[in-house]
Amino acid sequence: MSFWEVILQQIINGLILGSFYALIALGYSMVYGIIKLLNFAHGDIYMTGAFACLSVFGVLSGLIPGWPGIILSIVAAMIFSGCIGYLAQRFAYRPLLGAPRLSLLITAIGVSLIIYNSVMVVTNSQPLFFTSGIDNAAGIQIGNITITYIQIILISVSALLMIGLTLFIGRTMTGKAMRAISLDKETCKLMGINVNKIIGLTFIIGSALAAIAGGLACVYYGNVQYNMGYTIGIKAFTAAVIGGIGSIPGAMLGGLLLGLLEAIGTQFLGSSWKDVFAFGLLILILILRPNGLLGKSEIERM
Amino acid sequence: MSKKIIKIIAISMVLVLCVSFISGCQSREDTILIGVLAPLSGSEAVYGKDMVNCYQLAVDEINAAGGVLGKKLKLYTADDGCDPNMATQAAAKVISKGVDFVVGGYGSSAIIPTMQSFYDEGLLLLISNANSTDITKQGFNQSFMINSPGTHAVQALTELCKSLGTKKVALIHQGDAYTKNLSDICSAELPKSGFEIVAVEVMDKGAPDVSAIVTAIRNSGADFVYWCGYHADGSNVIKQLRNGGYTGEICAGDGSASVDLITACGESGEGVYLTSPPIAEFTNEAGKKFTEDYEKKFKNKPGNYASLNYDTIYILKEAIEQTGTLEMEAIRDYIQGIEFNGLSGVIKFTPDREPELSNFIILKITNGTFELVNP
Repeated sequence: MSFWEVILQQIINGLILGSFYALIALGYSMVYGIIKLLNFAHGDIYMTGAFACLSVFGVLSGLIPGWPGIILSIVAAMIFSGCIGYLAQRFAYRPLLGAPRLSLLITAIGVSLIIYNSVMVVTNSQPLFFTSGIDNAAGIQIGNITITYIQIILISVSALLMIGLTLFIGRTMTGKAMRAISLDKETCKLMGINVNKIIGLTFIIGSALAAIAGGLACVYYGNVQYNMGYTIGIKAFTAAVIGGIGSIPGAMLGGLLLGLLEAIGTQFLGSSWKDVFAFGLLILILILRPNGLLGKSEIERM
Repeated sequence: MSKKIIKIIAISMVLVLCVSFISGCQSREDTILIGVLAPLSGSEAVYGKDMVNCYQLAVDEINAAGGVLGKKLKLYTADDGCDPNMATQAAAKVISKGVDFVVGGYGSSAIIPTMQSFYDEGLLLLISNANSTDITKQGFNQSFMINSPGTHAVQALTELCKSLGTKKVALIHQGDAYTKNLSDICSAELPKSGFEIVAVEVMDKGAPDVSAIVTAIRNSGADFVYWCGYHADGSNVIKQLRNGGYTGEICAGDGSASVDLITACGESGEGVYLTSPPIAEFTNEAGKKFTEDYEKKFKNKPGNYASLNYDTIYILKEAIEQTGTLEMEAIRDYIQGIEFNGLSGVIKFTPDREPELSNFIILKITNGTFELVNP
């Protein structure tokens, strides 16, 4: 492989990894934007999405094999994880909305541990394997650069989802309500917006996006284990902060950037140093732009 | 008044102790009691159960054939939970039961803290499952390690690389003590045989994307990749190596020795090698027969180290029969010089009481099953 081929291949690798980070980072960012909560359970919601997709496809694959079955399974996973996200919001977070923010944060850690440990017990900490019957290796070869079809599908799906979400937040009444709540919850109540309903919806959308990421990971990587949400959850959270937490385009940018930095770091410094490299640069970005790349600087009124 | 009560209690306790001691001795005249330390609870319980099953199978066979020196063998099992604290309690339990020998030990961190107490009691200890070289470094001369240490895996790997004509090796580990140690041994040993280590990569557990590592490995020109990690993430590595355009040889370490690896890898798994522990069904004819017996009796497959557990009991049996005594020193000296032909191959010991010969075998995934290859 020539130098430029290596660079190009690593950029592709980074974009794929980055789109996973971005999809999950969206959920972090949306929830933070609307109720200022760092939803640490979000990585685990992603993991439940992957498990739901795998289980549903296990049942469906006999009847509807191939992509239609996978799409149905991912839809089922979205519903399942959306429900978990909603339930967490309804029973763990909503009662604490008026409480100090630290209590809410601890609750989020609690929810994360509950999901993580339940799945660990149910699956006996053994990995499950996904066999879709789809040829993951099929793809295009340009010189020494390999791009598989499934990678193209992955990047396109996440791009479409991000555009869709941006339009939803920017153009619809519900989106407008979400933005309004993030500015001033109390005034929104006075204006007749059903704040609880909108917050619930935010959790459902965020969780469903994580479930899509989980389902895609299930198809792309082929194995699902209880701890799969941990590292990626932290990375996605980082991506959200780098992009400017609360900002939807920021979450996408942060995710892709982190993926790219990791891939480039692996190539030039080795995989043991990739996180040091990526996070070192990210700290630098935060020093220069404390609110993240696309975050707005907030003026706190005293 | 209260002094009197205490006296009475004390005397009665001594009496109870004497009676139980005598009765214990009486019932044990015709049995040889073997203490077993195995994890029966906690995360490793599945493996502990398998250990005990194997010992029991061997003991039952020996008893059915008339026992040893006219005596029956009997197991006394204590749960070490694969945990240093629980293991020392289990050791105390086994010692107070008055066992003649001790076998077992899953996980070096659990067995090492117990070794002093067995040494003090003059109890022979055969460690069948743990394989850290730290065990023999403790220097207790009545403790033998049956399982091959990681260096032996690399010996097997070296033979494989030689037979494949490998030149450049890339290593991938998972950053934890076990897999990193294996990778370090490779980095130290393989260059001595003329192989160049061109990349050492780390894959975080549960972070499945290794495409960047794959590209780095392709760029390094490696023609052999050794995966030092566990089977949970192993299938990801193998699939992404193949999907990412890597065409050289792939070999996985013993952490990946599981049939799950085959199902999870699918097509990409074909031709992948494995430096495997001596899984009984692949080692020899006796191993195959043992596997059948085990499946018949316990309704599931024996574990990866089953052959070692089974051999451990038979080593003990041979030593008792040949020396004609239960004397620890005599049996220890006999085992030191033993050349035992068992399910896991030939077992001999170095002066440090480690196995001299590697018990690792090389398997290759062929048509969806493991197949033994002799490089």
